[in-house]
Amino acid sequence: MTTSAQTVIAPARARTATATATVRRKQGFQHGGWFVAPFLGLFAVFVIWPLLRGLYLSFTDANISGAGASFIGLDNYREALHDSAMWDALGHSAYFTLLVVPCITVLAFLLAMLAHHIERGKWLWRLCFFAPFLLPSTVAGNMWQWLFTQGIGLFNETFGLQTPWLTDKSYAMLAIVITTLWWTVGFSFLLYLAALQGIPDHLYEAAKLDGANAWHRMVHITLPMLRNITGLVIALQVLASLQLFDQAVVMMDFSPGPELSTRSFVQYTLEQGFTSYRVGYASAMSIIFFVIIAVVALARMWLLRNREEGGR
Amino acid sequence: MGQPGLNRRQLLAGIGGLTVAGSFGFAALGTGADALASSASTRVRYWNLFSGGDGANMIAMLDSFRKEHPDIAVKDSTLQWGNPFYTKLAMAAAGDRAPELGVMHMGRVTGFSPGRLLDPWDVNLLAKYGVREADFNPALWKRGVIDGKLYALPLDIHVQLCFYRKDVLKKADLLGDDGRIVPVTSTTEWFDVLKKAKAVQKKGLQTIGLWTNDQNFQWWFFVAFYTQLGGQWFNDSNTEVLFDADKATQVLEFLRQHVTDGYVIPGAPTGEQFINGAPFTWEGNWSVPVFSGAKLDYGATPLPAVFGKQATHAESHAFVLPHQAGRGGATNDGAHQLAAYVVQHAQQWAAGGHIPAYTPTLSTAAYKKLTPQNEYASAMDHQATEPKVWFAGSTGVLAQDLGPVVVSSTMGSAKPAAVAQTMKKHLTKLLASKNPMDGKTAAQGGAVA
Repeated sequence: MTTSAQTVIAPARARTATATATVRRKQGFQHGGWFVAPFLGLFAVFVIWPLLRGLYLSFTDANISGAGASFIGLDNYREALHDSAMWDALGHSAYFTLLVVPCITVLAFLLAMLAHHIERGKWLWRLCFFAPFLLPSTVAGNMWQWLFTQGIGLFNETFGLQTPWLTDKSYAMLAIVITTLWWTVGFSFLLYLAALQGIPDHLYEAAKLDGANAWHRMVHITLPMLRNITGLVIALQVLASLQLFDQAVVMMDFSPGPELSTRSFVQYTLEQGFTSYRVGYASAMSIIFFVIIAVVALARMWLLRNREEGGR
Repeated sequence: MGQPGLNRRQLLAGIGGLTVAGSFGFAALGTGADALASSASTRVRYWNLFSGGDGANMIAMLDSFRKEHPDIAVKDSTLQWGNPFYTKLAMAAAGDRAPELGVMHMGRVTGFSPGRLLDPWDVNLLAKYGVREADFNPALWKRGVIDGKLYALPLDIHVQLCFYRKDVLKKADLLGDDGRIVPVTSTTEWFDVLKKAKAVQKKGLQTIGLWTNDQNFQWWFFVAFYTQLGGQWFNDSNTEVLFDADKATQVLEFLRQHVTDGYVIPGAPTGEQFINGAPFTWEGNWSVPVFSGAKLDYGATPLPAVFGKQATHAESHAFVLPHQAGRGGATNDGAHQLAAYVVQHAQQWAAGGHIPAYTPTLSTAAYKKLTPQNEYASAMDHQATEPKVWFAGSTGVLAQDLGPVVVSSTMGSAKPAAVAQTMKKHLTKLLASKNPMDGKTAAQGGAVA
């Protein structure tokens, strides 16, 4: 089977290698360009343009009606830095991330080990662990809201508790964390499972011959071989967890939770934009959040590069 | 691989084309179906936030309007209550895609940019359809008037009530000769009532459902009792905070005492426990159909006058005209006609627990026969409402800022006196802050009727 690029290039065999490469590049660009054009178009319309527009709005006092906005320079940013409610909300998002990321990483690994090693009903395990991830956040949130409801919820009934999961500030975030673990662990589980399946069997066989027991094989083969995937799982989870919003909002009935304890940064931004109608201020907060997320992502890249360089 | 590929492409193109054509077809069918469904020449789009029992009642009222006015096609849309509704309404009005008629909470009207996002009512047109200022409680009507123009036509008031179980209270000897709860005039008397009720109630339940963790309810209760104490928020020109921290502390301590004295299980469901036998619950009047449906032997009064003066928190559903650049003509006329009709035919609405705003309905024999509605209809005359400023109103900025603070006191994570000071600070900040819609502070807002 020949590709169309090769077919076109074939008659021009006599030309110099440089010329052929130029044609290839040109052809490649033409074909590739057309393929990525729809994506680039959508990306520009739905990501780049809103980002630039948001940046502009963050320097104005725009309101939801879109009329009468004036340029106010850095005032929104100055106000945000002194807004204790914003810092509280950022703290909640960070706290959630700190709770979720280690739990989900360990849990996903354990579940993947289980699904990888158990022979009977393999498909059932995989389905059970991954299926919740397919649910929309509203479904997952509503389900667990019921399970956690004090007095009638299955959670308290099963464990013989009387815990006010959703209505007490000491438990509310924990309830959201538990829901999130159940709901999203499937994705990391799948990454780990794929990675586990990619470890060559002969490594284990050789280790066995050398007398390594199961623990040694785990510590000296499995875990080091999964190092990259662990890095990826942690990075993806940190970025996703910082953006906590939908499940928390659904479980708390669109409120910021008991005594504001589950109000995340995203939720506070939304409240400023759509309850208080301060689109300019909300835009400034979005930009601040964008910078925070970008810094986390860059830090991760920097750490990974250092590690790779160190490993050489 | 020429031919088959070509065929596949043709097939794909064909399917794609059919899909696109089909969706246009269905879209056309949609509008066609609308037009076919009625022979009406005028279409009135109406956005509301009524779900559950309220939704069913509203639809019944719309259906009778449709029957009587076949020339007007009412296209009603029910949207999610609370901020999502207000966001959609604001954006529709800002983008000149607004419906002809909408519903809002009265307290939110001042902050909803009257004149820009809302159009004023034509009171002469309303009068033509039988609705006049004289038919309303003056205080209620005035809440919808901004800069001398009517922006919100009241449909009802809805209030926080003290629901009580007659079967339990009878055992505790707390019912008067008329079969209603004995009146309470002080906090001491009130806690005495709770003590007696607790002694005879079913074990394992709370004595009163108080929504201790809910920022909206706690805020509403605060507004009620603070008003009972004669507390004020701001001076008339909205330039000075008159919030009285001592009075606020009194109210916060009163709410807190329900928890410390063990009459409430924090976080426990309120309505369910009441149905299961808890003697009291403080709930909105919209719970009437639920409790009546459960066939309970119960009564409902306004919140007890523990600080001597009657006052219970009240909000109102009101009809508004979302801003349309070219408002006028038959559709605008239809919107006036529809709103006037619903306001005048609110008997059905009253069955859902709401107190009709239209006084001729309020004084009908049919309304007076409704129980427990007739026990709390007097709340119309002693409404405790939020101040008339841009940041007030149902689920508005004021409630969002102060509600959680009240909860922290009731739940015991902060001291009442300290919370009262925090509330004052919030109020001072809010009064000084500018309305994002028009860039004016409350003092410059000109929102006073």
